[in-house]
Amino acid sequence: MAFNGISIVFARCLSLLQLLFRLDRGLPPANRRLVVDGLAGALAIGLVATTPVAAQDKPSSVGLGVFTFTSGPAAAYGMPGKNAADLMIDEINAKGGIGGVPVTATYVDEAQGAQGVIAEYRRLAGDAKNQVMVAALSSATCLALAPIAEQLEVPTVGWNCDTHQLLIDGKSKYVFRPNGNTVPEFIAYAIYLLDRKPDVKTVAIINPDYAFGHDAAKIFTAALKALKPDIEIVAELYPKLGSPNYQTEISRLTTARPDVVFSNLWGADLENFVRQATPRGLFTSSQVILALGETVLQRVPLPDGVIVGVLGDGWWMSPDAKANPETVKFAEAYKSRFGEYPVFPSIKMANTLIYVKAAYEAAMQKNGGKWPTRAELADAMKGSKVATLTGIVQTRADNDGLVDQIVGVTLKTSAQPFPVIGDMVRYKGDSLLPQAGQDPLAWISTLKPEFAKGLPKPGSYKIGER
Amino acid sequence: MSNAIIPLLLDSLASAALIFFAAVGLTLVFSVLRVLNVAHGSLYSIGGYVAASVCLFIASRQLNPYLSFVALLFSAVFVAAILGPLIERSLVRWTYGKSEAVQILITFGLFLILEDLQRLVFGVQSLYEDSPMRLLGTSSIGGVVYLNYQILLVAMAVLVVVGLRLLINHTRLGRLITAVVTDREMAQSIGIDTNRIFILAFSLGVFLAALGGALATPTSGIAPGLGADTMVLAFAVAAIGGLGQIEGAAVASLIVGFARVLAIYLVPSLDAVAPYVAMLAVLLIRPYGLFGSVTARRI
Repeated sequence: MAFNGISIVFARCLSLLQLLFRLDRGLPPANRRLVVDGLAGALAIGLVATTPVAAQDKPSSVGLGVFTFTSGPAAAYGMPGKNAADLMIDEINAKGGIGGVPVTATYVDEAQGAQGVIAEYRRLAGDAKNQVMVAALSSATCLALAPIAEQLEVPTVGWNCDTHQLLIDGKSKYVFRPNGNTVPEFIAYAIYLLDRKPDVKTVAIINPDYAFGHDAAKIFTAALKALKPDIEIVAELYPKLGSPNYQTEISRLTTARPDVVFSNLWGADLENFVRQATPRGLFTSSQVILALGETVLQRVPLPDGVIVGVLGDGWWMSPDAKANPETVKFAEAYKSRFGEYPVFPSIKMANTLIYVKAAYEAAMQKNGGKWPTRAELADAMKGSKVATLTGIVQTRADNDGLVDQIVGVTLKTSAQPFPVIGDMVRYKGDSLLPQAGQDPLAWISTLKPEFAKGLPKPGSYKIGER
Repeated sequence: MSNAIIPLLLDSLASAALIFFAAVGLTLVFSVLRVLNVAHGSLYSIGGYVAASVCLFIASRQLNPYLSFVALLFSAVFVAAILGPLIERSLVRWTYGKSEAVQILITFGLFLILEDLQRLVFGVQSLYEDSPMRLLGTSSIGGVVYLNYQILLVAMAVLVVVGLRLLINHTRLGRLITAVVTDREMAQSIGIDTNRIFILAFSLGVFLAALGGALATPTSGIAPGLGADTMVLAFAVAAIGGLGQIEGAAVASLIVGFARVLAIYLVPSLDAVAPYVAMLAVLLIRPYGLFGSVTARRI
């Protein structure tokens, strides 16, 4: 209450200043009053939001702000995340919730752009019930929200957020990412490619035209050049995110005649690209790498031999996943509810919610069973080691997660009506990541061809061999 | 790079064909009604959604796949028959003779309504149906595999230009439209039902927009947001060609298509801005567009 009072007094002072300088000259007196009251309300909400929530009794529900794309082309990636969140929250609640408190989620559509997402974040953070934000899918959203999370002191867990720039300064207190980042994700493809196709000479790249696409190209190229210096990049294309037509780009890639085409297109863009490139023979003229290819395996008929992965360890059919009854149960429940098996964005979201639940439990264990504050939750996440549906995520000192990387090639089997991933490798999370605080690109440039020799080889990740 | 000349030219033509379909309806409506229809892009995407839905239905019922070609055409007719008269009578006619600002505000409002309506009806996930593309197969030209459907699109674009010119110059409806465009009041005074001409012209514009979306469907995905992108590109083409000029739209589509393809081949980072750089260059030299003029109005 004291904060409300202070904020109202502060707002009244501001409004006096406003009157003094006649800033509201165009407004009639009644509207002026509305402005003053609105400002007071906004400041009150702001001050409450920035106030650390004290240790308290258990709330009636645990609110989560979940940020994902529920509309637009990116929804092809975002909706599987939302579906997984719905399912996982139901499963958590069926087992008694978190510490006996049921979980509820408020979904925010990232397609509305950074300004809208920031406003929604502030609104949700203003409600003390929402102690944790699961944000977000897009790297751009994550970069926009990170300073707000630190300012409002709200634990914010990136369920996707691939960009390595997110936690690069190592100073974050409230932002966590229990996933891989772009550095291990794309080095993994370079190593796998050189193991599988050591005589590769020319590479073409087609990535989306924003940070994720450009970062991935930089990392993949730097890793290739470090591990095989004679490789030449013969074309680099960055079509606009959400582009529906890739026919010209496909012609350009074909005329460059590369040994390898690398792409981290995703969502509907990836589906469009695959559907348009397949009949035009791109998959037969070049070895294609689709970094997010697993997301379209059940929707688009990908030919055999395309290098695909899951940007982490979230492959629902991996040997580790198959050996975990919880994962099998989750995959079947997902299939029965949404009509298809979970893709890796679904697994990333499910794993993130498991991570959040583990943080609550650890925090309550540490403070004697009391309901934790936001600060206590953030403390519980630091350095944590959590068993997920598909492996183990370990949080480093810079709040970045160490997650294994699975890469393989598409393969048709009689067991499924769609291609699966075969000839798999699983790289240890820490083997492809520089130390916290180290410049990733500088670290990659120090890699030597010998670096890859000590790593597992394609086909080494099989059931019962880990 | 020499081995890329033929693909570059073919890609320019294929790209220009798609761009032309997006722009020609806009320019036709402007030439007759003097209304800049900001909702034109939404009508393009609605055409795409309806065509994709019908083609998906045909595929799901395992009907003759060649029916999908008929479906593309009839989807555009269906959209034009429903939305053309409805929009013209309920909204657009109130903007005749009003300032451009009012026209743009009203059609922009319509654009927002149609965009939300699409989300409501067709959902937020992208739709894709490529059976017409698959049925026609591929051809290898200049060492690059092209879809025969892309070549069909170029032929269709030429057909539309010729067809529109024949319609306007050699049919009674065309002569009535020309009379209304030349002098609306005089046309009314000699007994031409201008309201009917406006409905027909606007519906023809909607048909061309919907046809563009429908024909693009087999090679492109349809997703929310497509309408806005199409609208911006259509405006650029209309501005380059000269607002209201059908042949201007065709030439401008070639320029924009070539600029975009050239950028992808040579300077990929300029891909998105290339059409607008071309527009800027043309408007600096000819502020009323290649085929436009200050006073005369032609179609």
